[in-house]
Amino acid sequence: MSCEVYKSEMYAWRPGDDLSDSKPLLDHLATCPECAEWFANFSASDERIRQTFSVVPESPSLEAKIFAGLAYERLQRAPRKSIWRNWFLLPIVASLLLGVTLGFGPWLQEARLSRQVATLLSQPPSAEINSNDQKQLLAWSAGALSGDAGLPPELSRVEFRGASSLKVASHNAVLLKMKNEQRASLLIIDARLTGENTIKSFHETAGSDSRWSDGRRTYVLLFQGSEQDMHAYMYQMGIVT
Amino acid sequence: MQITDQMFNDWVRQHQRFLFGIAYWWTGSRTDAEELTQEAFLQAYRSRSSLRDVELVKGWLVGILRHCHSQMRRRTKSREEVSFDEMLYEPESRPTLSADALALHQSLEKLEERHRLPVVLFYFQDLSYREIAEALELPIGTVMSRLARARQQLHGLMKAPTKLVLMKKAESL
Repeated sequence: MSCEVYKSEMYAWRPGDDLSDSKPLLDHLATCPECAEWFANFSASDERIRQTFSVVPESPSLEAKIFAGLAYERLQRAPRKSIWRNWFLLPIVASLLLGVTLGFGPWLQEARLSRQVATLLSQPPSAEINSNDQKQLLAWSAGALSGDAGLPPELSRVEFRGASSLKVASHNAVLLKMKNEQRASLLIIDARLTGENTIKSFHETAGSDSRWSDGRRTYVLLFQGSEQDMHAYMYQMGIVT
Repeated sequence: MQITDQMFNDWVRQHQRFLFGIAYWWTGSRTDAEELTQEAFLQAYRSRSSLRDVELVKGWLVGILRHCHSQMRRRTKSREEVSFDEMLYEPESRPTLSADALALHQSLEKLEERHRLPVVLFYFQDLSYREIAEALELPIGTVMSRLARARQQLHGLMKAPTKLVLMKKAESL
């Protein structure tokens, strides 16, 4: 066999290979100083490549992100509570109805908003429009909100991949799905909603949210993950509210 | 066999670094690698009943990672491609890359797609030909010939550093 043929065998050789298979090659190396030198250089270079491969950047939040995704998945697949348990809710529902008559309107609206937003995490609506064209998505959203297509400056770096229209606390709203972060969505409600800056019931479904208003619309960043991950994402995207 | 949530959680802890490393060298981007690893574990969880033998979990995960990578490529096909030279100026990667790592990333980027993953599995995980063949669902002979060809190309590419690698080497002197 010629040296060139042995060279192609050297490319297939790996440390720890069965010696009986490699014997002809090793015999050749013992008798051909040129090939032996070439093989020594190749092995050194190969080892250097192997060493370079061993350096991988740290990803400290990866495990938490995976578990957050799994928690959401498990939540969706969890069997629903039996209907009979809902009977226990009857007194609560009755109290709430009584509350309406006693003038708890604003408080109820807040609670209703919380519930509806929480539902979005466990049952997000399927996108009515999928598109990578930002202009098209924003124009579509503006139509659903009956207003202009602009976004506030803190959302200038965010890109979307799909949108759906819905109602939140009787107001027109759109849910925009982020393009590069599967766990994040932006809910835009066509009204200025007052209340605390945290939607408490949302946290019971392993999600986080951040809510702010530009005076005309309310923006809610919905995030399927921890508060810490959400803030890391907001920082990365320059969303300062 | 029944795979409990606890078992699956243990696999996440044991193998996330392994899968992330493969995805990192395969895609050349930490962000893509994170996304790919998350998606792979999610899909693995959904299809956990398809695992025949828990001893083969690593190869099974690599198979799912491959599948997710194809989906990701299809999704981003329309997106304009960014070369690795441009990616270097992402703040995430600039300070950490050595000249060797940079040369390796650039060389991997130039390898044919069908050669890239076998090379990553061979060097990064030091998997045997048989293990690579199982993970890629290919005959062992095909894996051996692809790897020999890929290693030849990789060594050739690594010997010819780009301007950027030379600059990086000069910086480190």
